[in-house]
Order: sequence, then C-alpha cells, then structure tokens
Amino acid sequence: MKWLRRLVVTLGTLSPTCKQATRLQSEAMDRRLSFFEKFGLRLHLILCKWCRRYGEQLRFLRFAARECQEHESGQGPHGLTAEARERIKQKLQAGCD
Amino acid sequence: MEPDRESTTSQALAKENAKATPGLSDPERWVEVYGDYLFKYAMARLRDPTHAEDAVQETFLAALKGGKAFAGLAAERSWLVGILKNKIFDHYRRACRETLFTDLEFYSDEESGRFVAEGAFKGAWIHDLGPKQWPNPGESLDKEEFWQTYRDCSGKLPRNVAAVFNLREVDDLDSKRICRMLNISESNLWVMLHRARMALRRCLEINWFGKAGEAL
Repeated sequence: MKWLRRLVVTLGTLSPTCKQATRLQSEAMDRRLSFFEKFGLRLHLILCKWCRRYGEQLRFLRFAARECQEHESGQGPHGLTAEARERIKQKLQAGCD
Repeated sequence: MEPDRESTTSQALAKENAKATPGLSDPERWVEVYGDYLFKYAMARLRDPTHAEDAVQETFLAALKGGKAFAGLAAERSWLVGILKNKIFDHYRRACRETLFTDLEFYSDEESGRFVAEGAFKGAWIHDLGPKQWPNPGESLDKEEFWQTYRDCSGKLPRNVAAVFNLREVDDLDSKRICRMLNISESNLWVMLHRARMALRRCLEINWFGKAGEAL
C-alpha cells in the first residue's frame, strides 16, 4: 500500500489548491495554459466539486455578459433624453453644412 | 418562387424604412430611429451620460462621412453599432492616457477570506463559503429582475475593471489587443479579469441565486 500512498501524495502535489484553481480557470478563458497547468487543473477538477461549479459559473458569466449588452441596448433604463436628442440633431446639422 | 419571395421581403423592408422616415433627412432619422438604442448601448459600457452622448454623436458624425445605403434597419443598425464600438474603444484609449488603467487594489483582500488560511488544507475553499449550486441559471436570463441584479453587481465593479471585463467578455477582444489598447501588462489584465469574475460571481450568488434558492 506504500505505492498507493506515494501516488496520492504525488498527485496531491501536482494538483493546485482551490485558490490557485480559481485563478487558473479564469486565466484559461484568456490564454493558453501550459501543459503542467492544464494537467494540474484537470486533476484538481476531478477531485473538487466546488471548483467544477466555479468554472461552470464563470462560463455562465461570459454568456450573461454578452446577453446583458443585448438586453441593455434594447431595454436598459437609461434612454436618450429629449434635450440630448435635440443637441445631437443640431450637431449633425452643423456637420452636414 | 424564390425571386418572388425575395422581392416581397425587400418590399417589406422598404415599407419598414419608409415608416421610419416621415420626411426626415438621413441624420435626423438616424437620431430618431437608432439614437435611443445606441445611447443605451454606450451607457451600458461607459456608465456616464455625457460620455455616452458624445460617443453616440461621434458615431453619427462618422456615419455621415462614410454614408452608405442599407437594405433594412437591422443592417444599418449593426453598421452604426460597429462604429459606436470603435468610439467606445477610443474613449478607453483616451482614459488610459490620463490615468493608470490597472486596478489591482480591488477585492484583493476579500477573495482570500473564502479559502482556508493555514494548515494541511491551506488554499482550499472553506466549505460554507464555496460556490453554491445555482438553480437553473439559464432561466434567469428571461427575468427583468435578474438583469436589474446583474446591473447592480456590475455597477459595483470599479469602472476600469468593468471596462476590461466587457472588452474581454462582450467584445471578445483577445488579451494582447486589450493590453495594447489600454497600455497594461498581460499579467495585470489577467489578475483584473480574475477578480472581476470572482466579484461578479459572488455578487450574483448572494443577491440572485442565493435568494432564488430560498424561494424554491
């Protein structure tokens, strides 16, 4: 059983901590991870349901951010005021002449 | 059959266009038809009515110069949105010349409180503070209250951090391009994105998904 314990310890040192895994999962969305980073992160995610959730939620955030821009442009609360509309029209008229 | 259908579609588009142009010149019509949409788009990104108004105005002025004809409102609108995006990027470029864009102070302490600080489990989630299960996140996107919460949470991010987050997530610009635009280093960018995601995730969990879970 000595070999098993050694295997677990070795895997343990290869796997990042949760704190490191949250950073790695975020960075994986912005850059290519190195081979060891990727390997360690995969290993960690097999073992840790919190970090798996975290990753799923980050991917949801990316999707929501895009949807939000769509939603805000259509139904956002801050519309163009009548005065601002007039100001822009006048500037454009001046630009046309 | 095909040509018929096509001509019906273009007739419909022409009608749609005619409805939107009751005797207005092009620029005036633009302001009437797209002004509100573009302004809201810019507000979501710049969070300041004066800057948003400037960006919309610059967009229309640039559109006037590059005047094109479009078959339909949708194509014209996406053309204008494309110009507006570039005006928003210009705004960020100017802003980063005036102040340092990097914001690493933000939430740097708060995140460490969620992980075990000492001992064999150092760096692991403190289980009660770890990510919770989110019930049906996809369904939330249909609810106005969700967007209200999202708006509040994103509004709590420092302006620079929110700008960086949206350039990456909404505009899908790669790291190198964002760094060139804002004159920041890649490692700083990644730290900012990491903290932005962490903060947004947490805020939505507390103020939306946590509450939705209680209601179920």
